[in-house]
Amino acid sequence: MLDDFKNFKRYIFLLRELIKRDFKVKYKRSFLGVLWSILYPLLMMSVMAIVFTNMFKFRMEGVNFLVYLMSGLVIFNFFSEATNNTLTAITGNGTLLNKVYIPKYIFPLAKVLFAGINFLFTLIPLFMIIALSGNEIEHTKCYLNIYYLYLPYIFLCALMFALGVSYILSTVTVFLRDMIYIWGICLTILNYLTPIFYSIKMLPESLQNIFKYNPLYIYINGIREVVLFSNALTPSYLITMFVSGFAMLIIGAFVFRKNQDKFIYYI
Amino acid sequence: MIELKNVSMKFNLEIEKNNSLKTIFIRLLSLKKKNKIKKVNNEFWALKNISLKIDKGDVIGIIGPNGAGKSTLLKLIAGVYKPTNGKIRVNGNVSPMIELGAGFDGELTARENIYLNGAILGYSKEFIDEKFDEIVEFSELKDFINVPVKNFSSGMVAKLAFSVSTLVNPEILIVDEILSVGDIHFQKKSEDKMMSMINNKGTTVVYVSHSMNSIKKICSKVIWIDHGEMKAFGKTNEVCKKYVASQQ
Repeated sequence: MLDDFKNFKRYIFLLRELIKRDFKVKYKRSFLGVLWSILYPLLMMSVMAIVFTNMFKFRMEGVNFLVYLMSGLVIFNFFSEATNNTLTAITGNGTLLNKVYIPKYIFPLAKVLFAGINFLFTLIPLFMIIALSGNEIEHTKCYLNIYYLYLPYIFLCALMFALGVSYILSTVTVFLRDMIYIWGICLTILNYLTPIFYSIKMLPESLQNIFKYNPLYIYINGIREVVLFSNALTPSYLITMFVSGFAMLIIGAFVFRKNQDKFIYYI
Repeated sequence: MIELKNVSMKFNLEIEKNNSLKTIFIRLLSLKKKNKIKKVNNEFWALKNISLKIDKGDVIGIIGPNGAGKSTLLKLIAGVYKPTNGKIRVNGNVSPMIELGAGFDGELTARENIYLNGAILGYSKEFIDEKFDEIVEFSELKDFINVPVKNFSSGMVAKLAFSVSTLVNPEILIVDEILSVGDIHFQKKSEDKMMSMINNKGTTVVYVSHSMNSIKKICSKVIWIDHGEMKAFGKTNEVCKKYVASQQ
């Protein structure tokens, strides 16, 4: 373990270079370049906003639906992007890993952090929606409050969770390439199982009791309590968030570590 | 110092076909039918029970026919492979010159690739900053430094890769054939550079080659490998003579 840590310090520069490369390659040929990282989520959210508020007319009494929807969406999209990119983190760098010694855990980590930075960009349109939408008569106006200080903590828990899942996925993909397709379907299912555009209270109680243990929902709900209702989070809720993220990270790291020496035979 | 104790390396030749859902289903189904498929022995031992010790500053040559396990041995020492059995101890930072330019990204410019590839080789940012001009000058690609590498000719890529990976004087240098890349002028230059790295006092060199002349010129000791087994390890002239005799 100590060796790994010393190792990590040496390779922090590589981690930064890998993330930088992903950015550069992603926007290399586009006219607007890095501006897209803000523009893209902004436009996507505008489309979603128009579809859900004007076409489907989703409403929730006393709740700013747009903020409700977007706060769920940013977390889910982060998770989806992070895990999707990481599926091929090891297999995609196969030639490199076959020629030079590089600690393998760097690659999934770089992909998840890259998604994490993209996630931070999506917060700009989210906060714009929070600032601009809603009205006071319907009690759907959201206010900046002291509990916003919880948000970085929630993001950190979500990051750990995504990283843990990503380590497992990148490991499985090495041995089973079909995972790339399977995971796409899993994400679609997960998308509907997570209360993003509906409320958990619409479900029968028996299902509610299962759904509320979905870690993604735990993070999303935490954010909603803060931005929608200006509520403090209970200590037990804060601990639940940390434990779910940290436990996933430990499991993921364990699975990855246990198998990483075998990767080289399969890539 | 490099020490190998009873090192063996096994590859499973069947693995290539086995990692898809289809084959897993087929295997499951065939189990149910109790059609026990005969297990074909597709294990391949690339190295068998190798023990050796290389002291600091030694220049060791590895010889043997194609497929004997020479490159596997190099990759084990470089840390790319973990041995199936046995133990390897390597003291000192290893510079693997096994394959150049593996870490290049065609979309990035030469400048960006120097940093990326440097990071892959474990250099720090400060170190690359400091040596940047030296790299560019050695590679003779000053006019193309902001051009994406995908637009480079293969010779230019090789020159750039060579310049990045020969930047440090490592404690352990792993060489798979002497690299002389690029045009005639650069070939001479790169060969000189490699020779100066090999001759650098205190550097341990492990060198694979099919050229008996260059082995004899450079190495103090030679390892002869055949079919994954170590046939001989000793003075250059003696081992080379035996090897050449066995090949005729």
